[in-house]
Amino acid sequence: MTRTLFIGLDGATFTILDELTSDPYGEGVTMPFLAGLIAGGHKAPLRSTNHPLTPPAWVSLMTGRNPGSHGVFDFVRFKDMGHDVYFTLYDARDIQDETIWSLAGRQGRRIVSLNFPMMAPPPEVEGCLVPGFTSWKHLRRNMRPEGLYDRIKAIEGFDPKELAWDFEREAKIGEDMPEDEVEGWVRHHLPREAQWFRIADTLLEQENPDLFAVMFDGTDKIQHQAWHALDPALRPAAPSESWLRLRALCLGYFRELDGYIRRLVERAGPDAQIFLASDHGFTASPRVVRINRWLGEKGWLTWRAAGDSEAEKRRESANFAYLDWTKTLAYCPTPSSNGIAIRVARGPGEPGVPEADYESFRDTLVAELKEMRDPLTGEKVIRDVLLRERAFPGAAMGDCPDLTLVLADYGFVSVRNVAPVVSMRATPTGTHHPDGIFIAAGPGIAPGASGRFSILDVPSILMHSLDLPVPRNFEGRVPDGLFAREVTIGPPSRRMAAGTAAEPQVADEASEAEKLRILEQLKALGYLED
Amino acid sequence: MDLAKVQELVFEVVAGLVADWDLDAEIGPTTRLVADLEFESIDIIQMVVAFEERLRKRNLGFEKLLMIDGRYVDDLSLGQIAAFLHQRLTVAA
Ligand SMILES: [Zn+2]
Repeated sequence: MTRTLFIGLDGATFTILDELTSDPYGEGVTMPFLAGLIAGGHKAPLRSTNHPLTPPAWVSLMTGRNPGSHGVFDFVRFKDMGHDVYFTLYDARDIQDETIWSLAGRQGRRIVSLNFPMMAPPPEVEGCLVPGFTSWKHLRRNMRPEGLYDRIKAIEGFDPKELAWDFEREAKIGEDMPEDEVEGWVRHHLPREAQWFRIADTLLEQENPDLFAVMFDGTDKIQHQAWHALDPALRPAAPSESWLRLRALCLGYFRELDGYIRRLVERAGPDAQIFLASDHGFTASPRVVRINRWLGEKGWLTWRAAGDSEAEKRRESANFAYLDWTKTLAYCPTPSSNGIAIRVARGPGEPGVPEADYESFRDTLVAELKEMRDPLTGEKVIRDVLLRERAFPGAAMGDCPDLTLVLADYGFVSVRNVAPVVSMRATPTGTHHPDGIFIAAGPGIAPGASGRFSILDVPSILMHSLDLPVPRNFEGRVPDGLFAREVTIGPPSRRMAAGTAAEPQVADEASEAEKLRILEQLKALGYLED
Repeated sequence: MDLAKVQELVFEVVAGLVADWDLDAEIGPTTRLVADLEFESIDIIQMVVAFEERLRKRNLGFEKLLMIDGRYVDDLSLGQIAAFLHQRLTVAA
């Protein structure tokens, strides 16, 4: 019998959900079921990982550990070889801490886990696992257990192309889109979510696992491109026809989602405890900050002269730093990282800052970043600069950029070589806010509202809900007053054995071919470009 | 592992990969990834992961096969992949 139902909502925020669960504009209550769940349950804002990005945040929720420990910092990993920098995709094998799926499984609990990122290639689980962010062509091979694909294929209306992540389509995230194109975008995500719901509903009925977890990510996709139709602060005084149409479509999405939540909660039955959480929230980003352009103007970064070949042109337009690595001292590897990597020379004459100068170089960089201003308004554009040893402590810290930027508007940086460094967007785009959502309901849950929980608390809460001890090394806690029952602390989760996590590539294996090949597709994952 | 065994393994992994792609292509040594199996670059990444998983070994050095004289190869046959893997595994052993 399902004891614990967990529904992940990528990028969900109370900024939107508070409105959709009430009726401030006479549009009707868009999410009546969620409204009831919140009214009878427990609600809290949920603080994301220090860099509120989908892969590190969900992996923290799955491992109870911060990214400096679990090792996933971004969609893309980079490795500095001295003469070159190598980019590739993070995958499940890079996660260095045990997940709650594994912890539950080895303590006799069965699980179903659907659509979570960084779950391919799929680890062994006691139950069923379908990873998210996987193209339709590779779903069969990336599911557990064997034979699951055929079971899912038998579900009426199953269409792998509707269900799966489409790299080319998702490449459009962050682009300035005309309003009719945004409509198409929103429309597209409706059947996708319906596909995931049907799989969830079927497996919940067939498996009845102790822990059932599904993630819906249309929330994130729609909010990125249609934020201006959702954010109460951006609501136009006299809305245009096209704005009203887009708004209605977005509300339609959330109405459907409310229905999926209702049916899953009903299917799980009255004895199940229900938890909803997001990996981060959302807010408006009106500004573009071209961080590598800025580093170049300061003389710390040198652009590579691009050749005329198709491959080079593609490479230059990709969302990855394309630089002269013999001269560059500091660079932002990808827009989604919001990071700056400082290069330390491996020896005399090698590219980078001499090791003895690292601290002073970093101090200068931080001080100058904090003084960066919008030339139009004079406002500071960077809210905070995080040092990795403080923001991401742990064994994997070395894979994290030295600095992580929190922009004043929480936006993602641009890595393009375009002037000026700071400019405004035509329409504010949706970006990740550090505060997401947490909702709990069901028997044994104390109703009420709390101050902010941490995303690291969620796995502790889920373990406790499963009546399992909370691993001693989990960085979060079960917040006081959420459950009636006493919390037990148990043995720590396991570190993943060396070799299952990524081995660093040796220099001569990091050829341009591999990088280009991957980059071509990875453009797709490049967040928020101007 | 001898070449015949490696070839069998390559056919099996690639056949598994394309099982749901609605292709008519035969799987054999002359089957080409792009021309016959409609591979795109993300599919090559997935194929590399599939081999890594199957052989329980990361970093097989596939870029050496994908790039010749500083240029991308246009296509690859399964026979070429098998020969490459056979050579890599022999060196490693
Ligand atoms: Zn997200």
